[in-house]
Amino acid sequence: MADQQTASAEAQVNYKEKYGVTPSQADHATLLRMIEDHFQEGLKTLVEPFPETDREFAKILDNLRTMSADDLRKKLIESGWLLEPYGEDEMRCQECMYYLVHRRWCDLPELNLPAEPDWWCRLWRI
Amino acid sequence: MANLLWLQGGACSGNTMSFLNAEEPSACDLVTDFGINVLWQPSLGLELGDDVKAILEKCISGEIKLDIFVFEGTVIDAPNGTGEWNRFCGRPMKEWVKELSEASDFVVAIGDCATWGGIPANAPNPTDSKGLQFLKRAKGGALGEGFTAKSGLPVINIPGCPAHPDWVTQILVAVATGRADDLTLDEFQRPKTFFSSFTQTGCTRNMHFAYKVSTTAFGQRKGCLFYDLGCRGPMTHSPCNRILWNRQSSKTRAGMPCLGCTEPEFPFFDLAPGTVFKTQTVMGVPKDMPTGVDKKGYVKLTAAAKGAAPAWAEEDIFVV
Repeated sequence: MADQQTASAEAQVNYKEKYGVTPSQADHATLLRMIEDHFQEGLKTLVEPFPETDREFAKILDNLRTMSADDLRKKLIESGWLLEPYGEDEMRCQECMYYLVHRRWCDLPELNLPAEPDWWCRLWRI
Repeated sequence: MANLLWLQGGACSGNTMSFLNAEEPSACDLVTDFGINVLWQPSLGLELGDDVKAILEKCISGEIKLDIFVFEGTVIDAPNGTGEWNRFCGRPMKEWVKELSEASDFVVAIGDCATWGGIPANAPNPTDSKGLQFLKRAKGGALGEGFTAKSGLPVINIPGCPAHPDWVTQILVAVATGRADDLTLDEFQRPKTFFSSFTQTGCTRNMHFAYKVSTTAFGQRKGCLFYDLGCRGPMTHSPCNRILWNRQSSKTRAGMPCLGCTEPEFPFFDLAPGTVFKTQTVMGVPKDMPTGVDKKGYVKLTAAAKGAAPAWAEEDIFVV
């Protein structure tokens, strides 16, 4: 728990230096920029394994629940976030149950982040 | 005047409690307006011990004409097929059930336990419980697949956990007033008048279902409960959103996913962490589709619906 708090504190400092706000304080546009910047800096996320069963899905959610809103980078990694569609079927946020198309927002409580329609993560459900 | 006898097997009395809350018609209306004579009922009967036994024996012998035999709860077979774990009036309940069913003009099973075994019949089914004519989806049950009451009808199944009180009283009135011929039963012997439509029929969240907007956490009034919270409304046959509970609400209207309790497989999940109140999926696609919908059609429909969804569909429109 102490390690998590330390990591969270470090992340806040970095975000604050770069953007003037932490992810939990950021508006929609700033959060989008934070996400895109992470990937431009070479962020690799846990795209696989895809949670094939609901228990595997629930495990990822459990991990996400331990993260604060300021743990943006960790959330992106754990959720397997991508800035492009995934797989042969071109799965993307636009068709995901958690995606609010007008607000351009992922409504999954454990993520609760802005997203573009052509993005994807391994918590995708239709 | 139609004589009605109601007994309970492996039951929680939930269906009796539901029955006593009936409004259209009420339990009292059955007696005062529709000429039903309640010979005995576990929560209403005045007789005890040998006096109850005497009523049952007279029904079997024909000294008292038994028009309607209502059974609530499972028929318990354990241990070793003897039924001794559920004794009543000096003998296994399963023996009373068999003889009273054969003596009655109509047999009505109330609730999941009496219809197909319900929760007690879930694996490992330690009480060897079964319904009157089904064990889950399999025909047979305690009375056997070929059983018909004196009227020629098989057991009339009114499932639910519990069954809605008005389903019960309305069917009892139909039978007691000579309109049983008007009843058509589905493959699980449920009256079609109640069990042809789906729980989803009349659900106030249907617009969110149409536009594929999900309820993502309990307490939200926006969104459909099917996509994420395990609601079985689109594939469960019941009129829960047509004949409202307490005349004013239903599970889904109150934000509670339908558990599919009128279907033989109820309860559906293995009750392991992460499986309850969570839509079961395979690679992100629901395992159980709305009845009649295939995966390819579902995916296409989702893409079209999300693309066409209006902004208000993402908001909570039920503002107090």
